[in-house]
Amino acid sequence: MQNSLTNRRNFLKKMAAAAAMTAAASMFPGIIFASEQDANLPKGGNLDWKKGPCRFCGVGCGILVGVDQGKAVAVKGDPNCEVNKGLLCVKGYHQIMCTQAKDRLTHALVKKNGRYVQTPLNEALDIVANKMKETIEKHGKDSVAMYTSGQSTIPEGYVASKLMKGAIGTNNLDCNARLCMASAVAGFLTTFGADEPMGCYEDIEYADYFITWGNNMAEMHPVLFSRMLEQKNRRGAKIIDFATRTTRSSTASNKSILFEPQTDLAVANAICYEIINNGWVNKSFVENHVNFSKGLTNMGYGVEDKYKFNDKPTKIDYEAYKKFLEDYTPEKVAKYSKVSVKDIKYLAAIYGDPNKKVVSYWCMGMNQHTRGTWMNNLVYNIHLLTGKISQPGNGPFSLTGQPSACGTAREVGTFTHKLPKGVVMNEKHRRLAAKIWKVPYENIPAKPTYHATEMFRAVDRGDIKFIWTQVTNPLVSLPKTSRYRPGMQKDSCFVVVSDVFPTPTSDVADVILPASWHIEKSGLYGNSERRTQHWDKMVEGPGETTPDAWMTIEIAKRMGYGDLFPYSEENHVEEIYKEYTQFHEGSKHGMAPLEVLKKESGVIWPYVEGKSTQWRFNAKYDPACSNDKDFHFYGKPDGKAVIWQRPYEPAAESPDAEYPFWLNTGRVIEHWHTGSMTRRIPVLHKAMPEAYVEFHPDDAKKLGVRNGEKIKVSSRRGSCILPASINERGLPTRGQVFVPFFDENMLINDVTLDAFCPISKEPDYKKCAVKVEKA
Amino acid sequence: MKKRLGIISLFVILFIAFITIWNYSYQIGLEEAYIPIEDTSNVYAIPSESGVFKRSEHAMDYENMPVDKNHQRSLTTYYKNRAYHGAPPSIPHVVDEQQNMGGQSCLKCHENGGFTEKYQAYAPVTPHPELVNCKQCHVEQNTQTLFKSGNYAHVMAPEVGVNNALLGSPPMIPHQIQLRENCLSCHAGPSAPKEIRVSHPERVNCRQCHVPSTKEMTRVGTFKRAGHEE
Repeated sequence: MQNSLTNRRNFLKKMAAAAAMTAAASMFPGIIFASEQDANLPKGGNLDWKKGPCRFCGVGCGILVGVDQGKAVAVKGDPNCEVNKGLLCVKGYHQIMCTQAKDRLTHALVKKNGRYVQTPLNEALDIVANKMKETIEKHGKDSVAMYTSGQSTIPEGYVASKLMKGAIGTNNLDCNARLCMASAVAGFLTTFGADEPMGCYEDIEYADYFITWGNNMAEMHPVLFSRMLEQKNRRGAKIIDFATRTTRSSTASNKSILFEPQTDLAVANAICYEIINNGWVNKSFVENHVNFSKGLTNMGYGVEDKYKFNDKPTKIDYEAYKKFLEDYTPEKVAKYSKVSVKDIKYLAAIYGDPNKKVVSYWCMGMNQHTRGTWMNNLVYNIHLLTGKISQPGNGPFSLTGQPSACGTAREVGTFTHKLPKGVVMNEKHRRLAAKIWKVPYENIPAKPTYHATEMFRAVDRGDIKFIWTQVTNPLVSLPKTSRYRPGMQKDSCFVVVSDVFPTPTSDVADVILPASWHIEKSGLYGNSERRTQHWDKMVEGPGETTPDAWMTIEIAKRMGYGDLFPYSEENHVEEIYKEYTQFHEGSKHGMAPLEVLKKESGVIWPYVEGKSTQWRFNAKYDPACSNDKDFHFYGKPDGKAVIWQRPYEPAAESPDAEYPFWLNTGRVIEHWHTGSMTRRIPVLHKAMPEAYVEFHPDDAKKLGVRNGEKIKVSSRRGSCILPASINERGLPTRGQVFVPFFDENMLINDVTLDAFCPISKEPDYKKCAVKVEKA
Repeated sequence: MKKRLGIISLFVILFIAFITIWNYSYQIGLEEAYIPIEDTSNVYAIPSESGVFKRSEHAMDYENMPVDKNHQRSLTTYYKNRAYHGAPPSIPHVVDEQQNMGGQSCLKCHENGGFTEKYQAYAPVTPHPELVNCKQCHVEQNTQTLFKSGNYAHVMAPEVGVNNALLGSPPMIPHQIQLRENCLSCHAGPSAPKEIRVSHPERVNCRQCHVPSTKEMTRVGTFKRAGHEE
């Protein structure tokens, strides 16, 4: 009797659960997915699931790590996370496997007589602190530098900034996000006066069209792309791929449009021309919310040392802007962009249709561009002219490549010109930082010093005599490593490298510090959609591995700045976060308190009165709007966004008779960045063991190149030998070759050019001239 | 006599010298004629992207289709129809139109599948409908007897449930995918063998989570850092 009752009760419970699950699944298909993954786990396994963000790209998926007796043994997508709703990509599912790699850096290594000697961490930290102090005494504050990362956690970035700018008093702090996000930042600041996207990923659920600008999302932001595909299948949303290379994303899109490298500038202007010419301008939006400006042109490309550039914005009027666009009729642009007049008009018609919601996505294609800031401005122009911005399903959205490029590099401000709030050039911002850091205001210098590329040039010149890199691998990821590797090897500079695995960068270090990996420490990241994500330490790291933030604090203490860093080893992450959030108080950038972050799988800022602001600048959603109009671009003093007049200018180096091919570089789905983690994950290494050079079949035929044949790719700077790949993973346009940069045994960045955008100082990894020959 | 002995030994010496020199130059000649075959076995072919999303337009139909439990294929019958795993399956039914290209006949049932009354089964869907000369690779089985029996070695076919690296992580692709780049044709819909029918066909970007394992390509070594001895 009792038995049947419990059975019935159980049955009812199960029925209710199943019904709830079905209902939930129809809304969020990911949910059923994660529960199914659960069902496949062995019964009786007593896994403890701990929440955190994924270690890899900027999408910021929520993960749950299965811990069994102190060891991480499984990963699944967090069904409660609004970003990924239970789904991950192949990297995410296998991320924890890298920690077990045999060559893990478990102890500090100090170079003695050309050999690395295992040293107790305390001694190694003494050596680093003494060397730093000694260098400052001998050569001045600006002879020491720190180079951090968009993968640093918020506390790691914060203490690095406080140590360099507040305590020591030098702006010699920059990070690898300069190589990926700087143009996005400069684009946001010049157009809106406030960094980071106004929309959020939920736009995907409302948009009718997704236009991706030079962005292979199926491989680089796969989880977001899956969300787009879902909308394509369920509601008939359309994906338009605008790129220089045919990829997995192009195949999945409704339409793929190819263009000649660098001409995206002209095509964007042609779209604006069409919008105006056809009367598709949203007149009331433009009148109320937009100013027109132009800046300097012929800026150069920064290939020479100590290059300086400051833009001079001048206000113009609508008529002048219209006049400027006459050079960009679809007919004129089609000639050099190799995009047909029909396709340009097609793109313009999508943006121009007032009844269609459009989201533009982009990442490295537009940012790693010698006119990256301009390119960002130009896409904003399209959205501002049509008023398609800051509304659900309508808006430009700049994606990031690193898990905390937004959270740390941009919000904490680990760039030479940045402070946690504002810039070093602004006295008010310096005073605020000095107050919260409790340092004299005079400590913080008002002039920015070296951006990433210039920092390594200064190392090469001998101007920087001490450099400490954290959570990054510049000797694989910098452009023109053929110059910067010998530069870092010089005796004139003492090199400290903190990392989890040995890399070509740690190979030139004088001291190597063993860092904790992701889940072996607590931390906070911030993803592309302004979402702050917290996680608690899940497992113990091996040997003497230590969180990067704590190593920075230990160095600060050893240098005599202990009073400024009064944090405890067990709880420093929370203490630092609480101090840091003071910078962002208010409705424009308020951040969620720790208690909320611990509960949720990430929370979007501005977090005002217990609520996230999903669409900024729109009075309907954003409590910071205060001009009594429907939109308020409060980043600018007059509350108006700027449409910029930016012309087409050629690339820094174009193919010629001697070097007849474009070289484009990038990533593949299996590997992330320089591969120091993903290549140590067996599943990923087996799927993509080495780099390759992609050819268009016509070019391959002309050169007599067979698949797999060894090819030497060389430029004016260096060369690299790789196997040829013809129409496999991707298909570059004729006259272009593509190489992924993850492989430290095939360093394609020896070949690339260190030209950068003069405004953002972000290098262009997508365009330089090379020749190819059989090796 | 002495003189004769002298002449004979001279000839013997000359003969030995001849043999030695001839042998030496023969060996040299052999070596020169030998062109070493470059070891290309470690060249890893990156699977083609063609067809990755080909049947994705049917994904929602697959997702919403109820499972017809009485007419399911199993992995055993799937393998039974192939000489080895990855071999083109033979045609297990009578073919009426012998002179046609497959585009006119085979694809009628095998392009999109569907239930066939006559065989009480769902027609399997081809992953490569663009190749219409079907009978180039797929042939009938008109007899069950052999011309001569033999000892054909059987390679173990990939199994289900053993291809994930971590607990509950998405399984790797345990087979080659040349000509089978289109995952959904075999892994979704009513004709998919029940063991390998995917529970989430609506995801369509399969290789976001499932990457080929190189079980069958043993030459892919572990990564060695340049200039670093293990």
